Amino acid sequence: MSLIKYIARRFIALLPVLFGVVTLTFFLSRLMPGDPVLAFLGDRWTTEQYNYQLHRLGLDKPIIEQYVIYLGDLFTGQWGISVSINRGQPVWDLVLERFTRTFDIAILAIIISSIVGIKTGIISATNRNKPKDTIFRGMALIGVAIPVFWMGMILRYIFSYLIPIFPGLNYKNPGIGDPPIITHFRVIDSILSGQIYLIIDYLYHLILPVFCLSFITLAGVVRQTRSSMLEVLEQDYVRTARAKGCKEEDVINIHARKNAMIPTVTVIGMSFGYLLGGAILTETTFNLNGVGALVMIAIRNTDYWVLNAVVFCITLTFVMVNLGADLIYGLIDPRIRY
Amino acid sequence: MEHESLTQEPEKKTKSKESDNVIKNIFSWIINNIKFLLIPASRLDDLTFREREYEMKISKRKFIRRLKSTLTILGISIIFFIVTLAVFAPWFSQYSFEHLAGIHTGMWDPPSPEHPLGQTNLGRDILGRMIYGSRASLTIALPAIFFSLVFGVIFGVIAGFYGGWPESIIMRIMDIFLAFPGLILAMVFIYIWEQRIEYIMLAYGIIGIPYYSRLIRGSVIQARELPYVQAAKVAGASNWRIMFKHILPNCIQPVIISFTFDIGGIILSLAGLSFLGFSDPQLIEWGNDIAEARGHLYDAPWGAMWPGIMILITVLGFMLFGDGLRDALDPRLRNL
Repeated sequence: MSLIKYIARRFIALLPVLFGVVTLTFFLSRLMPGDPVLAFLGDRWTTEQYNYQLHRLGLDKPIIEQYVIYLGDLFTGQWGISVSINRGQPVWDLVLERFTRTFDIAILAIIISSIVGIKTGIISATNRNKPKDTIFRGMALIGVAIPVFWMGMILRYIFSYLIPIFPGLNYKNPGIGDPPIITHFRVIDSILSGQIYLIIDYLYHLILPVFCLSFITLAGVVRQTRSSMLEVLEQDYVRTARAKGCKEEDVINIHARKNAMIPTVTVIGMSFGYLLGGAILTETTFNLNGVGALVMIAIRNTDYWVLNAVVFCITLTFVMVNLGADLIYGLIDPRIRY
Repeated sequence: MEHESLTQEPEKKTKSKESDNVIKNIFSWIINNIKFLLIPASRLDDLTFREREYEMKISKRKFIRRLKSTLTILGISIIFFIVTLAVFAPWFSQYSFEHLAGIHTGMWDPPSPEHPLGQTNLGRDILGRMIYGSRASLTIALPAIFFSLVFGVIFGVIAGFYGGWPESIIMRIMDIFLAFPGLILAMVFIYIWEQRIEYIMLAYGIIGIPYYSRLIRGSVIQARELPYVQAAKVAGASNWRIMFKHILPNCIQPVIISFTFDIGGIILSLAGLSFLGFSDPQLIEWGNDIAEARGHLYDAPWGAMWPGIMILITVLGFMLFGDGLRDALDPRLRNL
């Protein structure tokens, strides 16, 4: 019960931030030079058409009124229509289709980098200042310094051109078709419609991008795990466990690891923001046609509705992942009560 | 009396010898100090044993000594290398800036004696653009980070010191900026203004502010209650003076630590921004070059590879140095 109360309280605390982000995007997007009506109409138009579209898009009202209408529409899911990409397609559908793909990569990357990072960090801490430790730390540092889009290009060159084992571009084979749209998540839709080969094809295309993207957060996870693990290994209860005659792996896996996890979880949650930024770059490298391409076209064509929706979705995801990280504390450490 | 003469400052000593030549005095004073800072045990001959012990314990040399790990020195030398490339770019490159920004024959030509690393789509020399590219990265990253440092510190100190509603307002605004996806914010800012170098700096400067203000606010809140602040208050110091003369020097350390590390981060995200095409197209910049080579990855891999290696090296240099600096300034964080 207290958990539900805690989640509710956190939600209420998040509302001002979300509201601020929505407001900021709205007014920033209105500052952009360019005219969305012109982007919608293309090259040939008459004044009558222009005025009609201006009225239809709701841009002839005063800006404060537009803002209030926008806030109202945000909750009902009527996010307007896109003026630049697939002209006239509802933004809700467009953003959901693209955003779920970005979300898939980001979530896969964060899961893989957490698992690999925690393992590596623990190995690094238990072999402190030995060659293994040095190699892992060096790899982590290079991982944080490498430009992710460049790494993607090099991977593409090696693994889809020199040794063609992975597909370099796109998220599916050209002729393979799509599952019926139910939840917009390709994996879930394929399972629901029973087309398992679609999932295999999809995941096969995501291997290189996810590998690339997981490097962004990997370094932070390794460093934080190593640091907190070293701290925990000096605690009294670890010494007690060793004195008691526990096997060394039990000492690390049972006594030490859980206690070292809390700062790591925080780092994972916070780095999810970087990951979403990196996902935009990775998508561009691999032509995944996700939210990154959408945002760029939206900005270039002053597509207010698409831009606002994308920023809202990304912020919401970031905030939710951090809330999730806070909830995971309770699972790791039963002493934490909400 | 022998002892007293030894404790004198090097400045006084040289003054007594050659009091007529002021410039020479100043020069030798500077040299002495640099020697003292950089070369351990350089002043051994004019120190007694006990003084030497004291010096070893207390002096800044300890800081330098902690800074002297292999990786940090590697980082410093990389930074030195990049800065040298940026400053003396016309000497290192056999082509001038105008030539490198012009249009020539030889689209995506492979490496040749005239162009050791190949050519771009407009026939520009890649080696030359790699060298000149260091200028753009450093000129954008350094002012941007100074901008965010200065404003972030001011907002953070004010928020931490006053508490109450100024803190609530400032920190809520910072929270909003932190939750906003940074890359998209930069893209929007740059599109609203213009794709010019000064606006790119400004955009990154604004995006960096919340990080620093959050960082410094935490330590200001701790420092606010300490006795020396109370003492300053009792002595009648104004709030402004307490904030920036008393509290700030004691709280600036975490900011300095993250500062060097963040230069690398800014260079990295800057390259990402240019890769997406939101950068000054007139600029010779590594990210621009990679973006151009994206469509020709399979037939001209050299176009994308070399600028990326430069980015990697530069960022690695700043991060290694940042790591070393953190170890030296704050040994508690050593394990991180």
